[in-house]
Amino acid sequence: MSRPEEFNIVTRRDFLRGAAYGTLGLAMGVEGVARAGQGSAFAAEEPLSQVVLVRHEAAVDAGHQVNSVVVAEMLDTAMKAFTREGDIANAWQRYFGPQDVVGIKYTRCSWHRIHVNQAVLDAITDRLITSGVAKSRVTANDFGLPVKDCTALINVPSVKVHALTGIAVSIKNYINFTGNRTSYHFNGSSKLGETWLLPEVKGKTRLIVVDMLRPYFGPGPQINPLHQWDYKGILVGTDPVAIDTVCLSICQKKRNLFKGEEWLISPPPRSLATADTVYHLGTSDPTKIKLTRLGWDKEQLI
Amino acid sequence: MLRLPQDVLGWKTDGPDKVVTRQTIFDYMDGGGEIYLAYDFQRLLAREYARPGAPRIVAEVYQMASSGDAYGIFTHDTDGQPVSVGQMALYSAGLLRFWKNRFFVRLQAEDETPEVKTALMALGKQVASGIPQEGKKPSLLMGLPPQDLIESSIHYFHTLVSLNIHYFLADSNLLNLNSSTEAILARYQQDRDRPRLLIVRYTGPSDAKAAFEQFSKVYLRESPTGNAVFGKLEKEQFAGGRREERALLLVFEAGSRESAEKLVDLAASRMKGVAP
Repeated sequence: MSRPEEFNIVTRRDFLRGAAYGTLGLAMGVEGVARAGQGSAFAAEEPLSQVVLVRHEAAVDAGHQVNSVVVAEMLDTAMKAFTREGDIANAWQRYFGPQDVVGIKYTRCSWHRIHVNQAVLDAITDRLITSGVAKSRVTANDFGLPVKDCTALINVPSVKVHALTGIAVSIKNYINFTGNRTSYHFNGSSKLGETWLLPEVKGKTRLIVVDMLRPYFGPGPQINPLHQWDYKGILVGTDPVAIDTVCLSICQKKRNLFKGEEWLISPPPRSLATADTVYHLGTSDPTKIKLTRLGWDKEQLI
Repeated sequence: MLRLPQDVLGWKTDGPDKVVTRQTIFDYMDGGGEIYLAYDFQRLLAREYARPGAPRIVAEVYQMASSGDAYGIFTHDTDGQPVSVGQMALYSAGLLRFWKNRFFVRLQAEDETPEVKTALMALGKQVASGIPQEGKKPSLLMGLPPQDLIESSIHYFHTLVSLNIHYFLADSNLLNLNSSTEAILARYQQDRDRPRLLIVRYTGPSDAKAAFEQFSKVYLRESPTGNAVFGKLEKEQFAGGRREERALLLVFEAGSRESAEKLVDLAASRMKGVAP
């Protein structure tokens, strides 16, 4: 049942029925939204987008310290699976060449502390260099990345449920390029997709590598350690909407597990729906996404 | 009057203090300042402590405009173990939060160790003792019927940004919440059902009436009978409520119309004794 046209308001009821925000309800596993006959979520036979998830039990130890050697192996595994290349240099050369100036845009939110781990950045930089991009042509930064001068971008976000945006992964990672971050937090952050279409940014993103080693699923705004967990995952893809949808689904399941009942990510990430339907950055429909899962499968949550 | 000690159990002040105002809150926490401003945040003092070979500690003292708002921001995240510091406190794996009077305090360590936990508790008690008086909780809390109430589920707030974090109702301001409105959201455990009660108090009856009519029309898609409206929604759940003078008493996710009406009746009865 669609919502009445005379009300230009999306309510909780609309969302829970799947009558608003596209297929987000399906991705979040909302009871009653999943529809039969459209294929299984994240197992599309003819996918619009592919995402690879690699997990490793030894990626993070009991003291929450990240193992850089294991992380580098995980990245190699993910890149080989995503590109179907047997050789890691060939895999990276699919996206980057010696002529490129590569910007690695990572997330480093000093006050929130859900950072991209240095081990992930080091592994990416190392593989870029060994695949033929000169070290002097690779820059990694959160603020101040010289995006104008870059011919190619790698989007490297962390994963956190966000009090204003719903969830912050790859789409929100470009908010710093706007020069006016706060203005993008209003209206359900629905304009975030616009950041990918800024003249200096549009068309430059060749790869997305998500650090999902220690994601955050709480209400924020600051970190409560009870709401961070060692998922020990790395995701690779090229469709930001599909990648963020996978992360959304995992975080929603973790919230439900934590509370022992449905604890909806709130507000629902409208920015993810508009990134699909307004800005056409990719697909948020789980039935059009093929997720390849590799490695450690305990509490995979998807 | 924001105070922090210079040292605690071997941890000493390390680096300059930060003083954050309403104007600079977004520099301190972009993407998070909205939450504090929604509770009439005034000022913040932040200090870091270090001890060789031990995790660092960040202490933050938030001064809000009222004790009600300090209590409110404390209820933003209610996950943690209750401990005895200030007027109410929660501890969770290296994070101690408490409120007292107009102050909300967060003490967070990089990692949790037994020594860190001891230091956080000592620091918390020292900071709390430096705040001379206790403050009043919001009087609106008295409107919550105590039977079957899940204490840890209580959230006190003013505006849409807070409601949408705790319970997304709509992407627009359906209840016309603003900095002058007061709201409480809480859950109840009634056998298998866990209904939510939302009490909103407006500055005047006309504001409450307008919000009630909008809620009835847009959310329930029902016409109120007098000052009350209830409806059966998705998942065999019931929602609805009543307007009482300048307050709305709304129930969501009730297992039956009768239980929804009963919870609203109980709240209405208690609201008669709530101070203005």
